[in-house]
Amino acid sequence: MVDASEPFAAPGRRRGLSLRYMADSAFLIIVIYIVMAIVYVVVQPSALSAYSIEALFNNSLPLMLAAAGATFVILQGGFDLSVAGTISLVNVTIAVTPLDGAGGALTLVGLSLAIGVTVGAINGFIVAFLKIQAIAATLATMIIGQGLALVILKAPGGSVSDFIVYELTGSVLDRLPIALVIALCMIAFWTLFSRLDAGRNLLAVGQDRKAASLSGIDVARTEFFAFVWAGAFYGLAGYMLAAQTSTGNPSAGEPFLLLTFAAVALGGTAFGGGRGGVTASVFGAATLMLMQKVLFSMGVSSFYTGVIQGIIMILAVLFSTAVQHAAKTRGAE
Amino acid sequence: MDNFFTARGVSKRYGATVALRDVVMDIHAGEVHAILGENGAGKSTLVKILSGVVQPNEGQMTLEGRNHGPSSIADARRMGVSTAFQELSLIPHMTVAENILLPKVSLRGFWPDPKKDIVARAAAVLRDWDVTDISPDSLIEDLPLAQRQRIEITRALSHAKRLLVLDEPTAALPDTSWLFQQIRRLTGQGVAVMYISHRLSEVREICQRATVLRNGATIRTVDLAGVDDAGIFSMMVGRDPSEAGADMGSASLGDTLLQTRSLRVGAIRDLDLDLRAGEIVGVAALEGQGQQDLFKALGGVIPRRSGQILVGGQEAQLGSPAAAQKAGPGIAFVPEERKTDGIFENLTAATNIVMAQFAATRGERFVNGQIERGLAGPSAQRVALAPRYLDFEVGNLSGGNQQKVILARALMSGAKILILFDPARGVDVGTKQSIYAMMRQFVASGGTIMFYSSELSELVHLSSRCLVLYGGQIAAEVARSDLDEERLLSAAHGHRAAVHAAPDTLKEVS
Repeated sequence: MVDASEPFAAPGRRRGLSLRYMADSAFLIIVIYIVMAIVYVVVQPSALSAYSIEALFNNSLPLMLAAAGATFVILQGGFDLSVAGTISLVNVTIAVTPLDGAGGALTLVGLSLAIGVTVGAINGFIVAFLKIQAIAATLATMIIGQGLALVILKAPGGSVSDFIVYELTGSVLDRLPIALVIALCMIAFWTLFSRLDAGRNLLAVGQDRKAASLSGIDVARTEFFAFVWAGAFYGLAGYMLAAQTSTGNPSAGEPFLLLTFAAVALGGTAFGGGRGGVTASVFGAATLMLMQKVLFSMGVSSFYTGVIQGIIMILAVLFSTAVQHAAKTRGAE
Repeated sequence: MDNFFTARGVSKRYGATVALRDVVMDIHAGEVHAILGENGAGKSTLVKILSGVVQPNEGQMTLEGRNHGPSSIADARRMGVSTAFQELSLIPHMTVAENILLPKVSLRGFWPDPKKDIVARAAAVLRDWDVTDISPDSLIEDLPLAQRQRIEITRALSHAKRLLVLDEPTAALPDTSWLFQQIRRLTGQGVAVMYISHRLSEVREICQRATVLRNGATIRTVDLAGVDDAGIFSMMVGRDPSEAGADMGSASLGDTLLQTRSLRVGAIRDLDLDLRAGEIVGVAALEGQGQQDLFKALGGVIPRRSGQILVGGQEAQLGSPAAAQKAGPGIAFVPEERKTDGIFENLTAATNIVMAQFAATRGERFVNGQIERGLAGPSAQRVALAPRYLDFEVGNLSGGNQQKVILARALMSGAKILILFDPARGVDVGTKQSIYAMMRQFVASGGTIMFYSSELSELVHLSSRCLVLYGGQIAAEVARSDLDEERLLSAAHGHRAAVHAAPDTLKEVS
C-alpha cells in the first residue's frame, strides 16, 4: 500500500488544492461580485457616492439576511419556504408596534427574532421530529405566516419609528453604511459558526445523513436547529425590510421566496446539501441586487431584466459547477 | 470474568419481517467472538441493536452486569461500545481528522479550535493505533477504500472501552495484520470484540468462539478449535453446502466482444485488452493501481483520455453507462460501492432490477408492481434471489441480497459483457456460491466477464485467466493452469518474474 498509492496521491493533492479551495469557499461568487461592481462603477460613475453606496447596501441587506437563513436549512439537505411568510409577519408586526427611540428599536429586534425563532422552531419540530417532508411543512408555515400578516395589517400601511428608518439605514464613521456592517457581521458569524461542531455537523448531515448518524451526530437535533437559525435570520430580514421601506406590507415577503433561493444558488451552495455556506449566499444576494442596478443603469428595459438575470445566473452556476468538477477529478487522480 | 456481555431473548421485527428472533449469547471479557451466518441471518441487525442504531422489540442485554440498551450511537459510546460499520460511516468531503473526532471535533463550545489542534489530536489517535500512512488532513473522498476502512476501524478502536463491534472489517482490507495487532492490543486490556466476517480463515485466526445465526435465531455458540469448516457451514445453512464444481477451461472461446487499444484513463497507461465470449477474466491488483479507472471507463462512468475501446469489433464512445449498455453486444457495469453508486434504497428490489430494461428500451410503457415482478423474476432467479424479496425495499435487504439485486439488474440489461468490480465483496458463503454460479452460467451462454476481486482465492477459483495490474499497466497475465495465489501476489507487487513471494512481502500489503 505504502509503495503503490503514494506516487498517485501526492501530486494530485497538491494540484487540487487551489481549485478545491475555490470550489469550497465563497471565492468564485466574490470574484463575480467584484467584476459586477467594476462594471457598475464604469457604467455609472456616481455609484461611488456615499449616498448610492448606502442605498445599494440598504437595498441588498434584507435579501442577504434571508439568503443567509435559508442557507442553514439547505446546507443540511432541507428546504424552507417559510421565508416569505416570516418576513411578511415580522414586517407588519414592526409597522403596527409603535416603539420609538433606540430602546424601541432594540425591543423590536428582540420581537423580530422571537417571531422568526418561533416559526423556525415549529418548522424544525415538524420536519426533524415528526418527520414530515420539509416542503410540505414549510409551505404550510409560509401560508400561516402570510395569513397572520393579513390579520395584523389588512393593507399596506402602519408606521415604522424614525429611529429605525433613519439610524439603521445610515452610516457610521461617515462612510461605512450600517447595512454593510451587518453584512460583515453575518460573514464573521458564519466564519466562526462553520468551524464549530454545530456548523460541522450541519455540513456532515447535508453530505450523508446516514453516515452522519452512524458517526454519532444527532441528526434530528442538527436539523431542528438549522430551521431555528433560519427563522432567526428571516426575522432580522423582515426587520431590516421595515427599516428600509419605512412601512408595513402584509405581502412584503412574497418577492423574497424565489429571490432567496436564487441568491443561495448563485452563491454556489448545493441544493442537495453539504456544500456551500452563508458567506457565499450573502455575496449571492449582493450580486443579485447589484445585477439589477447594473442593468438599470445600462438602460436595459425592465422587461428584459428578468431574462438577463436568469441567463447570468445559469452561467454563474455553470461556472462554479465546472470548477467543482475540476477540483474533484483532479483531486481524485 | 464471565458474562461480560450477555443477550437474552433479543428480538427485532421490521413490520412483518422478523430480523432477529430470541437471540441468546454471551461474550467474555477480552474475547474475540465471531458472529457467523448467511446474508439475512440477522448479523447486521444484531450490530445495529448493540450500537444503538435500532432498539429491539424484546429481550435484554447486559454489559458488565449493567443493563445495556443504547438509544443512540452516542449513548452506546458512553457505555463503551463502539462499532466499525460495514457500509462505512465516514463523511466524504471532510478531512480524516474531522471524521476521526466526530461528533465532538472541537473542545471549545463557542469559539473555533485552531485547525492544527484538531489535526494534532486526530494524529495522536492515528499514531496510537499504528496508522502511519494516512495524513490526517487529507479528505476522505480522496482516499482509496482500504484506507477509508482503516479510518472507520480506527475511530471505533478509539472509542472501544468495553466492547468493539467489527462488521466485515476486512471487506476492503487486502491484509489483516494491522487489524489483528490492534485487536490483540484491545483484548489484552480486557475489551471484548464482536467480529463479523465471511472469511472463515480470518475468523479462525483471531476468534476463540463463534455464535452461528440462521434466519435471525441463534443456532449455537461453538469453540472454533473444536469444529471444522464443513461443520460451521452446515450450521450456517442448515445443510451440507454443495460446493459447485469448477470445471472451467473446457469451455470453448467465442468471438472477441471487447477490446481496448492503448487505453489511457486515470492511472491506466496504454492498456491493451481482449475479452472473448466464454471466458471469465480476473483482474488482480493492490489498491490504487488504476483498477477503478479501468472498470469505470469500460462501464462508461468516466471518459478515457485517449486510446480505443472496441465493443463487438466497433469503436465505441461509452460516454455514459446507458451508452455502454447499448454499445454492440452491450456492457453492464457493477460498481464498487453499491450503497452510493448502485442502488435506489427506497424502491423495491423488483423496481431496482427492471430499471435497467427501462433504460435500455425507450420508455413509454405502462408499469405496475405486478409487471415489474414478472419482468424481474427470471433475472432474480439467475442470481438465486428469493422471489419473496422482490417486494422489499432494497434498503431493508441484507448486504448480500442487495448485491444480488444489483447483479440481477446487470443481467436484466441483456448485455453480453459484464464488468464486475468486486462482485462478492462482503457477502456470505451462500451468496458467493450463487454469484459464482451465475458468472459461470453467464459465460457458458456466450457472454464474457471481467471482474476485479480483493480476494485472491476468488480470482484463482473463478478466472479463465487472470490479469495483474501494476502501476496502471498489465504487469502479468496468468493462465488458468498456472493460477495460484502466490504467483498473483508476487506479480501484484511488481515482481516481473512471478517468483514465489517470501512471507515478509505479504506484510507489505496493508
